[in-house]
Amino acid sequence: MVATLQIVTAVLYFVACAASGAGFALARPAWNRVAVGVLAAGALAHGASFSLLHTLDPPPPLTHLPSALSFMAWIGTLGFLLLVWRAKLAGLVVLVAPMSLLGVLASLSAGRGAVPEESLGAGSLPHAHVLLASAGLALLGLAGLAGALFLVEHTRLKRKRPPSGGGAWPSLEALDRAGAFAVAAGFPLLTLGVLYGALWQREASGLLWSGSAHETFCLVAWAIYGALAFQRFGARLPARRCAMSALAGFGLLGCAVLGVELLT
Amino acid sequence: MKLLLVGMSHRTAPLALRERMAVDDPAPVLRKLTAGDEIDEAVFLSTCNRVELVVLTRDLEAARMRVRSSFRRDLASDAPGEHELEASLYEHVNADAMRHVLRVASALDSMVVGEPQILGQTKDAFRAAVECGAAGPILGRLFQHAFATAKRVRSETRIAERPVSVARVAVGLAAQIFEDFAEKRALLVGAGEMIELALRAMRDAGLTSVRVANRTAERAQQLAARFDATAHGLDDLPRLLPDADVVLTSIGGAEPWLTRPLAEAALRKRRGRPIFVIDIGVPRNADPAIDALDDVYRYDLDDLAAVADENAEERRREQARAEAIVETEQQRFDGWFAALRAVPTIKHLRARVEAIRAAELEKALSRLALDEPARDAVDALTRAIVNKILHAPLSRLRQEAEREEGMAHLETARLLFDLDSGDDAPESEES
Repeated sequence: MVATLQIVTAVLYFVACAASGAGFALARPAWNRVAVGVLAAGALAHGASFSLLHTLDPPPPLTHLPSALSFMAWIGTLGFLLLVWRAKLAGLVVLVAPMSLLGVLASLSAGRGAVPEESLGAGSLPHAHVLLASAGLALLGLAGLAGALFLVEHTRLKRKRPPSGGGAWPSLEALDRAGAFAVAAGFPLLTLGVLYGALWQREASGLLWSGSAHETFCLVAWAIYGALAFQRFGARLPARRCAMSALAGFGLLGCAVLGVELLT
Repeated sequence: MKLLLVGMSHRTAPLALRERMAVDDPAPVLRKLTAGDEIDEAVFLSTCNRVELVVLTRDLEAARMRVRSSFRRDLASDAPGEHELEASLYEHVNADAMRHVLRVASALDSMVVGEPQILGQTKDAFRAAVECGAAGPILGRLFQHAFATAKRVRSETRIAERPVSVARVAVGLAAQIFEDFAEKRALLVGAGEMIELALRAMRDAGLTSVRVANRTAERAQQLAARFDATAHGLDDLPRLLPDADVVLTSIGGAEPWLTRPLAEAALRKRRGRPIFVIDIGVPRNADPAIDALDDVYRYDLDDLAAVADENAEERRREQARAEAIVETEQQRFDGWFAALRAVPTIKHLRARVEAIRAAELEKALSRLALDEPARDAVDALTRAIVNKILHAPLSRLRQEAEREEGMAHLETARLLFDLDSGDDAPESEES
């Protein structure tokens, strides 16, 4: 059942990708709304697949990378849907849908049998750490995507070029607000995730800090997020610089996730 | 029946002539036109860009003379030279007239292709013709078809999506910067015609908070009063700028008033909120150096015109798709219109058969001693037989009449049933 739901999720996310991509290519902004609807259906199926994980024997952990990526994709999708509900951001689906699809495909391609025993964490601390940190990183990803689109639109408007994709993109203000929301919601989640990680580490080894690559990556991620939050809400830097930082932070953490988690 | 359209538009007549032809109330002209025998139905469309009469007639030549005479005598307020008028008039008949009406309603013949006003103006013209009894079922069908075609064109193409006037382009750009334009604050610097046009477009887009600053306070107050805004002098600009999300400026002066230091100071107070500067002044009112500031989006008249041109080009590309829709719809209407040719033949054939039935029934009933219910039953029986016999050939005649070759079938029917002789000779067949 879980596998079926994951496949349904992937199919729905793929349809959302196709609809939004075709809408952009054919300059049909209305198709974005269809894509958002399909993405929402996919998010429902995705959530249902997580809720049924406990029925599997043995229940697979969320603490290995493919599952964490899938969870990140789900949180990112939910965050996006929440934003679409509050603001005119449907055009962002062109970037969000492929990311959601990649997250689910990562989980599907790994499969249950591929879960390495040594990566499994036991108890609630590792799960709390992974879930909170993944949710935080997912929202940072959303901020990065909004930042990327902001930069594209900002450059176009500065160069005084007409809109592409039939004018389907959200306004700069909507993109900036989306980025601010993602940072405001994501930073506390990541902070909690890092704290739970430290507690998990102390429970396992008696030390708060062991200096592992994973710990270093988490701390770097937290520092980047902290810098972004400060830029936005402390220094009140221009929206373009916040967008650039969000995109750079997303890129850096993306590389770090793959590098640290896959190579160690 | 023939459809005739005579008119002049921005393509054939100068504004001065079109102005002389324009009328506020088309009813007197329409009543006069339809009072005679030449014209059965008429619709009069008068806008700033076109003056057109669409009429339905049985006698094309007589209608043509009547309509042209109406242009000369009823419409021209101070008679233009006949040569000037004749040179400005165009004429379309039947399929061409249908196509023209469909193109006009779909804004494909407009000065600004895809503009939204013409559909409403066409609907008003048709309504006025209906109210004064000049439009009947056939022009009614044509205009309803034109409205449906215009709706198709707007929904199936992007011909009306991109704005092409400077004022609308500015509003469109603002929507790409701000999420909710209605809650933004605008600062208008200057009080000229361009500023007023742009302000009107912004008001249409929902903008409510407006401040007007001008060199002469009186003019600023006049404009502010009209648009429920507040008026200020130019000295207030440094104080007003940090509060402005949209700055629309067009005042005279050799040096730009919106300098980089002024913009930087405003941005510092705005704490990252962007400013959209629409500079329609000549010479420019905003220093192009402010483009280097991240949160300032400055568009001058050339920039806006370039976007408008690009949008107009996009509309022209969409026009080919729109023309294809119009062509399809014109052919559909043409089929229905052509089928009207069969109506006199069908009516005459029915009348001839009914006369035979009634005569034979009368003869039979006079020989039979039947009570009232029995007579009614026989009457109903003969009617049913006649209707069943006629149903298939009459349906076929209607279908065939939609095609040009179908005229031969109508002729054959008239010959076989000898419809062109006798006391009940038909009204003349239209071809």
